[in-house]
Amino acid sequence: MRKTALNTVYDLAKSNPRIIFIGSDLGHGTLSDMQKELPKQFFMEGISEQHIVGFAAGLAKEGFIPFINTIANFFTRRALDQIIIDVALHNLPVKLLASGGGMVYAPLGPTHTATDDFTHMLSIPNMNVFSPCDANEMKEIVISESARNGPSYIRFGKGGEKIVSADFIAYKNPYTKILGDLNSNYVIISTGVLTQLAIEAMNYLKPPRRPFIVHLPKLNLLGETNLYEILKDRKKIIVMEEHQTIGGLFSQLLHYLHDKNIDTRNIDTISLPNKFIRNYGNQNDHFNKWGMTVEAIVEKMEA
Amino acid sequence: MDYRSLALLEPIDARGRELRKIILEAASNAGRGHIGPALSILEIIRCLYSSVLVHDPKKPNLTTRDVFILSKGHGALGLYAVLANSGYFDVNELETFCKFESRLGGHPEWHNLPGIEFSTGSLGHGLAVAVGIAVAISNKQQRSRRVYVLVGDGELAEGSIWESALHAAKHKLDNLCLIIDFNKMQANGSLDEVLEINDLENKLTSFGFAVAEINGHSINEINLTLDFKPKGGKPLAIIAHTIKGKGVRSAENSPEWHHKAKITKDEIALLLENLY
Repeated sequence: MRKTALNTVYDLAKSNPRIIFIGSDLGHGTLSDMQKELPKQFFMEGISEQHIVGFAAGLAKEGFIPFINTIANFFTRRALDQIIIDVALHNLPVKLLASGGGMVYAPLGPTHTATDDFTHMLSIPNMNVFSPCDANEMKEIVISESARNGPSYIRFGKGGEKIVSADFIAYKNPYTKILGDLNSNYVIISTGVLTQLAIEAMNYLKPPRRPFIVHLPKLNLLGETNLYEILKDRKKIIVMEEHQTIGGLFSQLLHYLHDKNIDTRNIDTISLPNKFIRNYGNQNDHFNKWGMTVEAIVEKMEA
Repeated sequence: MDYRSLALLEPIDARGRELRKIILEAASNAGRGHIGPALSILEIIRCLYSSVLVHDPKKPNLTTRDVFILSKGHGALGLYAVLANSGYFDVNELETFCKFESRLGGHPEWHNLPGIEFSTGSLGHGLAVAVGIAVAISNKQQRSRRVYVLVGDGELAEGSIWESALHAAKHKLDNLCLIIDFNKMQANGSLDEVLEINDLENKLTSFGFAVAEINGHSINEINLTLDFKPKGGKPLAIIAHTIKGKGVRSAENSPEWHHKAKITKDEIALLLENLY
């Protein structure tokens, strides 16, 4: 997913000299071809995230479109003030490519696991927040956001995810994506790579409890969607996100449905706890611990 | 005589007094404001807009313009007075300072007012943005354009400033000028009491800047130094020795006048009497 995002930026930069790539201190060889071919559009700036975000805002102010890549938390925690003031307040087209969303960096501990990034980014006016489910969707989002005049936060998964986004159908909005039988009374709403798990659960469950899936790669501005039309009068809705329960998609959705006067008592969530998650291990260990499994989804659906 | 004594003794000319009256009257109407920090930077900003920057008040988005960012956004009253006095907007608008739905807030906002290049207020941001603009200008091969950024000396305690200083040198930004309002005071008291910042010239030199030191209230020294273009691809840093509250005898070097949220008309009358 990361490789696709960065290569997409490189491809866009070839035909648009305003597209800039900025890395903090990324792995050796990152976009080395771009560095050679387009040296004026490639910046590797070192471990100075607060500076880099302000720097990108300065470039954007002069007409450039900077894509920055670093670890998610080093944006959303370390450089939060710069993101809010320099980028979002000025509504500049700075695109934040955030590596290691959710529990990808589980073995590295709570400094690196991005379990509160949606909370921070969703609270910022003008910011568009994305969490794609596979590399194809990532590419679409990077291309689309490169042409939009405003800031974006785009969260990466671990990489190597199965391509599933092509199976979905957009429902009246490019970022409201549906898979399955809309006549079902059961729904899974998911974002990011957990959508892959939602598909497994959907295929496992038999009608009438087989849900349809609403995949939301874009987490904010739900008011611009027609989502309520497909959520009202359902028996059970499960919201899945690789993020703490407070402040992410689940919270957004509750606000949205409240605004639409839709009963929310039938909504349950599968998400991470609202606490620092320790214990290391890998991403799958935490999926198992926090109920992000087909079995757990089935259990909730049948409850 | 040292720079600080020279800055203290520097006389104020008629335009300097006129700008100071604008600031004091705006603070009087609002009943609040950062008066001291606006007065210490007034000569620097005035010189920038009078004789240094390429700019056009009638075309604030002129593509060939130089860029000035007031990183110490709390000096807004100084910037507003000079912008109004230069023709960006009517000087009477200063009467609305900090009022509901005014374009003139306690910190400058880019969306609101022509002439404001970037919204500031949270300290330690301006230099990074200025570095980005300077790199952009260089990338576009606009060789005549320059970027000026004014930071407070207390603001130098922000770590982000020094991150950006490293990058200014890395990119050999000879189109960038960092001006330090070295008034040696911050909200709580003197810099030495709060967080000492010794040997600033060597610090900046070691970070890769060409460094000049001036009396920050001398029109001649400011104009000469702001026009200086260092050789060897170095960014320029100007340590401008200034006096907080300069030009109002009773407010000079007084932390009391760094910021006040309640200022009475009588207090302003007293400050106006103390103008020199």
